Amino acid sequence: MYKEKDISIDFLDIHLDSPFVLSASPSTDEMEIAYNGLKEGWAGVILKTTSVEENEVNLKNPMMSSFGPMSNKVSGLGNIDLISKYHINDIEGRVEYLKKEFPGKMIAASIMGAKKEDWQSLVYGLKKAGADLIECSFSCPQGSMGEEAGKMLAQSIEATEKVTGWVKEAADKTPVLIKITPQVTDIVEVAKAVKRGRADGITASNTIPSLLGIDIRTFEPYPTLFGESSYSGLSGPSIKPITLRTIAEIAKNVDIVISGNGGAFSWQDAVEFMAVGASNVQFCTLPMHYGFRTIRDLKSGLAHYLEDMGFNSPLDIVGKALGKIKTNEELPELYTRSDIDTEKCIGCGLCYVACSDGGHMAIQWDSDKRKPTVDEDKCTGCAMCMQVCPVDAIKMREKLDDAVHYFLEKR
Amino acid sequence: MEETDKALNRAEALLEAERCLYCFDAPCEKACPANVPIPEFIHSIMTNNLQGAREIIEIVHPLIETCGKLCPEESFCQSVCVRAKIDSSIKIRELHRYVTDNTDPSKNLNISSKRKVKIAIIGGGPAGISCARELGRFGFETVIFEKKELGGVPMQQVSISRFPENAGKKEIRFIHDNFVTEVRDKKIISVKEIDDQFDAIFIATGLQGEIDLGIKGMNLKGVYFATELLKLTRAFIKTPVGKRAGVIGGGNVAVEVATVLKQENNERDVELIYRRGLKELKAFKDEIDEAVNAGVTMQFLAIPVEIRGKNSVEGIVVKRARLSKIDASGRRTFEEIPNSEFFIPLDTIIIAIGQKPADQFVELEKNGKGLIKVDDDLMTSVKGVFAGGDIVRGASTIVESVADGKKAALSIANYLNGGRNV
Repeated sequence: MYKEKDISIDFLDIHLDSPFVLSASPSTDEMEIAYNGLKEGWAGVILKTTSVEENEVNLKNPMMSSFGPMSNKVSGLGNIDLISKYHINDIEGRVEYLKKEFPGKMIAASIMGAKKEDWQSLVYGLKKAGADLIECSFSCPQGSMGEEAGKMLAQSIEATEKVTGWVKEAADKTPVLIKITPQVTDIVEVAKAVKRGRADGITASNTIPSLLGIDIRTFEPYPTLFGESSYSGLSGPSIKPITLRTIAEIAKNVDIVISGNGGAFSWQDAVEFMAVGASNVQFCTLPMHYGFRTIRDLKSGLAHYLEDMGFNSPLDIVGKALGKIKTNEELPELYTRSDIDTEKCIGCGLCYVACSDGGHMAIQWDSDKRKPTVDEDKCTGCAMCMQVCPVDAIKMREKLDDAVHYFLEKR
Repeated sequence: MEETDKALNRAEALLEAERCLYCFDAPCEKACPANVPIPEFIHSIMTNNLQGAREIIEIVHPLIETCGKLCPEESFCQSVCVRAKIDSSIKIRELHRYVTDNTDPSKNLNISSKRKVKIAIIGGGPAGISCARELGRFGFETVIFEKKELGGVPMQQVSISRFPENAGKKEIRFIHDNFVTEVRDKKIISVKEIDDQFDAIFIATGLQGEIDLGIKGMNLKGVYFATELLKLTRAFIKTPVGKRAGVIGGGNVAVEVATVLKQENNERDVELIYRRGLKELKAFKDEIDEAVNAGVTMQFLAIPVEIRGKNSVEGIVVKRARLSKIDASGRRTFEEIPNSEFFIPLDTIIIAIGQKPADQFVELEKNGKGLIKVDDDLMTSVKGVFAGGDIVRGASTIVESVADGKKAALSIANYLNGGRNV
């Protein structure tokens, strides 16, 4: 065996042996599955969202669907899932059991209620069972319960603040996370409402309402239930850029702890989430797709990365990129041009096509030599060519001096 | 003999198509004699638009089912694939074949309104058929003179394992039904026989004559030409070849016939006898691999001197050679080693050193090898008479014959329109 690097963190005063926890999802719905996840090495579980007995759940199946290019079938995973079919009484027992079996792991639960009494009785039950943390789903894409049933709670600033207050009042010293949706007009206002409601943190963010596809022969939407379907919550790699933006906007504007969730599929993604302000990262689609074994590469990848970067703790990453995210107006006006490394260039001509039809007609093509050249006067430095180069032979260079601006390298 | 099954399944085809970079001004397309827009048809495979993919290929290439199986891609498109600079070339021919195997000829080809113009096409091989399809699209009447089944070399001289019995028949039937006015079962040996009945003539007879070894013993029982044996095996007739066969030659036909004879009877020893070395073989790599896998043995650096036997073949005397300087084709040539004769006992000898033009069309100018001379528009020394394919090029590939057929059709149309493009 190798010596293990310490990648533990304290998250809302809860000790996590790594920043990686299982989010409220099918991976944490069955007791045995959640148990297996913790045994495999995940730092904690947030048990799938539960409610009080009277809130009946009628799950519709098939509930999963996906889309993606052929070699990567699941770049987006969709579900029309609802909250757990298990009610709070079952969940309390599971929290107690898991806490006993895994004293060093974070055992948390997710709740959703309709009325104030629901929310608070759910909290009391979980507190009694010894839950380390309570997450509140304000953002199920199938809609919340209560006053504006069908809408997502987090889409109302007022309701967000009010319900957060109810929960925190009951939770007292037990940390509370509010799980929000990116599908709002102003995410910062939502985060501020969560803070005013005195929650300890925000989970940013839930799956995103979507429609996974239409069968173009039958016109049946996916996932089809005898020809009919509904909107799905979208997760997986395809929503990562949206989650990054959500986390960054909150972190830049509101002083509140953030748990990153939604689209992280690798340790690199997790590092990015943390770099824009997340203190830990939740996973769901990755373990659902490839299993709990994926925790091994997450931990090892992060450990090696920290070593390479000279960081002592994963928390050293948190917010590292935030200062570099500006408004468009704040950005400098650069005079750059495309710089093609002719040694690396393999002569596919894709940069020529992209510039010709989607740029500024600034690349010339030598058909005999199969080499592109940049017309410095026409090039605006938009970097479209760089995106399509299959061998990363294009960089953007300052026009006036030789300073080379390196863009994020493709992974 | 089973078809060597290399066909890609859907998953393999999509993965392979996804690897294509979709190059601009793509070298593969330029290297293809028929100028198939390769990146575009591969892109259509990716979007699962297979009929669209077929139309992209078919508009420029009348014999896509045939070429999907037999095109030596290593000589053309695949040899210049840009993707090779990243990892490996795209399997272009296999993607092409994936399209043709899974689609039918397009019914959407535009055909110009009929014109009162009649063209004779002498020879129903790849060049002739391609020319007929193009002329038919222009609205011309076409009459093909062919004594055998339409299709030419692939239908007669390629092993069943490489080119199954029904391969290519769908598209040839389609061209026959839609673009050919008439097929006449008649051998033409001079344009004078028919020039008063037609507005223009395209000669695409291929190479009908056999080149023999020119040594003693050629008349013995047990000496065959490769092409006659290949014709038998395509017709599922057992060959008269014995237990120890020697195949003389180093081209595709030699390697192919050796493979077929070994596959026909695994107890039989089949030896390829060639004057140069392994690297100098002219056959395509996949054919050589197939021969080796079948169990064909190879006798390199061996120059036939004399076939021996009383009435039937008993063996061949060969002289040892050694490799010498590099010739115009870039391959090492050979020179004899004096007093190095040795005897190889054999009961059958198959000659596969190439074919030559038959003695015909004496009214046309020919080169030293008897091949018909043409100008840039494929017109022969006689006005209105065009020629293409092997009878002009010497032994070449199907796709090159297809390219000639297309080009001749355009030249004929221009000629008849007084230089105006169709």
